[in-house]
Amino acid sequence: MATDVMIQANGLTKRFGVVRALDKVNFEVKRGEVVGFLGPNGAGKSTTMRILTCFISPSTGSATVNSHDVFDNPLEVRRSIGYLPQRAPLYTDMTVWEYLKFAAEIRGLSESDFKKRLKKVVEVCGLAQSLGKDISTLSHGYRQRVGLGQALIHDPPILILDEPTSDLDPNEKAEVLRYIKEIGKDRTILLSTHNLGEVEEACARAIIVSKGRVVADGPLDEIRGKTGRVRYVVTIDEQRAEAGNKPPAAAQAQEALQRLGGVKTVRELPTDEKAHKFELNGAQDSDIRAEIYRLAVAKGWTLLELRRDAQSLDAVFRDLTRGDEKLDRGANWSAANAEDEDEDDKSSADDEDDSDEDDEEEEEVDAKSKGKS
Amino acid sequence: MSPMITIAKREFRSYFDSPIAYIVICLSFFALGVMFFFMNGGFWQLDRASVARLFETAPIGLSFLVVPVVTMRLLAEERRSGTLEMLITLPVKDSDVVIGKYLGALGLVLVLLLSTLAYPIVMFWKPWNLGPIDGGPVASGYFGMVLFSCAAVAVGLLISALTESQAVAFFITFFVLGALWLFGDLAGKAGGTLALVLNYVSFQSRLNNFWRGLVDSRDVIFFLSVTVVSLMVAFRALERRKWA
Repeated sequence: MATDVMIQANGLTKRFGVVRALDKVNFEVKRGEVVGFLGPNGAGKSTTMRILTCFISPSTGSATVNSHDVFDNPLEVRRSIGYLPQRAPLYTDMTVWEYLKFAAEIRGLSESDFKKRLKKVVEVCGLAQSLGKDISTLSHGYRQRVGLGQALIHDPPILILDEPTSDLDPNEKAEVLRYIKEIGKDRTILLSTHNLGEVEEACARAIIVSKGRVVADGPLDEIRGKTGRVRYVVTIDEQRAEAGNKPPAAAQAQEALQRLGGVKTVRELPTDEKAHKFELNGAQDSDIRAEIYRLAVAKGWTLLELRRDAQSLDAVFRDLTRGDEKLDRGANWSAANAEDEDEDDKSSADDEDDSDEDDEEEEEVDAKSKGKS
Repeated sequence: MSPMITIAKREFRSYFDSPIAYIVICLSFFALGVMFFFMNGGFWQLDRASVARLFETAPIGLSFLVVPVVTMRLLAEERRSGTLEMLITLPVKDSDVVIGKYLGALGLVLVLLLSTLAYPIVMFWKPWNLGPIDGGPVASGYFGMVLFSCAAVAVGLLISALTESQAVAFFITFFVLGALWLFGDLAGKAGGTLALVLNYVSFQSRLNNFWRGLVDSRDVIFFLSVTVVSLMVAFRALERRKWA
């Protein structure tokens, strides 16, 4: 059956005891797409990938990879994919060449095919200098490259990469992302990470999972649009001003900014400079940088900094998963916790701990009610 | 080449890429020499040119040292380090993994067994010709040891499949194989039904016949059954990851 859908997940659910690691996950990846699979730790990214590579089986639901079912045809599925598990676990007692040879032999590549592919893989992954080295002596970045190399050795139509950039230094990260872009030109790639920046760099589309559910699936801009708020940072010199005006007092500046259209809240931020620094929250889809600039010119302020922040992934997650939990818990919970939203990471981490426990309780109730029906 | 053979080859080679193969071979030869010449009165007092002692002592070393060391890492280490995921997501069947690893480990043990042929060779051929060799018991003794090794390595692999820790795998294999060996001694002290049961399961009692030149199909089938059942359970243990 000729189809453009390379990976399809239908209602994948995976339970580990009472913990539901995946909850009815549905998505499709089409031929030639590079898709970022995003989520915080423990969201179910690796579990999904392990199901797609037939390492584990879903509790319910089904998945097909390259039109092969993961239940019925695991060997065909594995032949169609190159897989790089988290942290690139390799046999450290082998050399790079031996390892690639081993992977090629298991995949049934002939000697001449292996030589051809090896040349290509070495070029793409930058392994020429390290072919003869023991894997145990390689840095983590190079191990990732070797892992990527073994995933590419049989020229698969589909690549599944589980956190290919975790634990790498910034240079290595950039390198690995460059490879992914390079090899993604003619392949389908599903790539998991918890870093939005990486997805922006390498992927056009993202699937965001949280607590085992898909909470967003679509082009990156669309997902960013879902998060609601836009944040601006404005810094104004407190000693000098332009064209004979007086430098503003903090309260004056704050008031003036507050009066701008589209500004929801203004908060003064601490700063080391002799300046007033404010954080503004604006509505979604708005851009009031021009208004802020004109205000500064009109008042004769010396504008030291003006920046519109891309939403951090943290905020994206919090926003996307809050809605989810509100549904789970009913209105009371969301009212009681609404004030937490803008607090620092620590409180939100505590928050999550609580919610995990609650989830498990719900899980049991769920199971019971299902048993009845 | 089939994936199973590729895995077996890699496993076998990896023993020689680490010091483990060399340490095991040196230590076991040293221990075998000590036991052969000095244990139970010693070779010289016996005043008889026979390799029967070899068959009596070698399986002890295999049970208590060689097999636990060789098999402890087979699956336990792969699980711990995560390489199992890498291996299994290659297009291989779970059975290829189990049997490939089994063959790799068995290969090392058989190499060790093969090198003990040095004893009969130096005793009955060159440089010392201590008399005519009694071929029958030597052949059946080796046959028994090969069967014993097949079963012991399978048991070790099974235990390695059940844990993530090499140390745990080592000690459990050590105790299980040790117990299966010592049941034979225990059976001599116990009586009645208990002795029958102990003799039935003891590797030592089963090997006894082979030393005397007696190849009993019941013993052959016993060792082969232990091997097959252990491998099947190991296969199930590996498959369990899918559902747990």
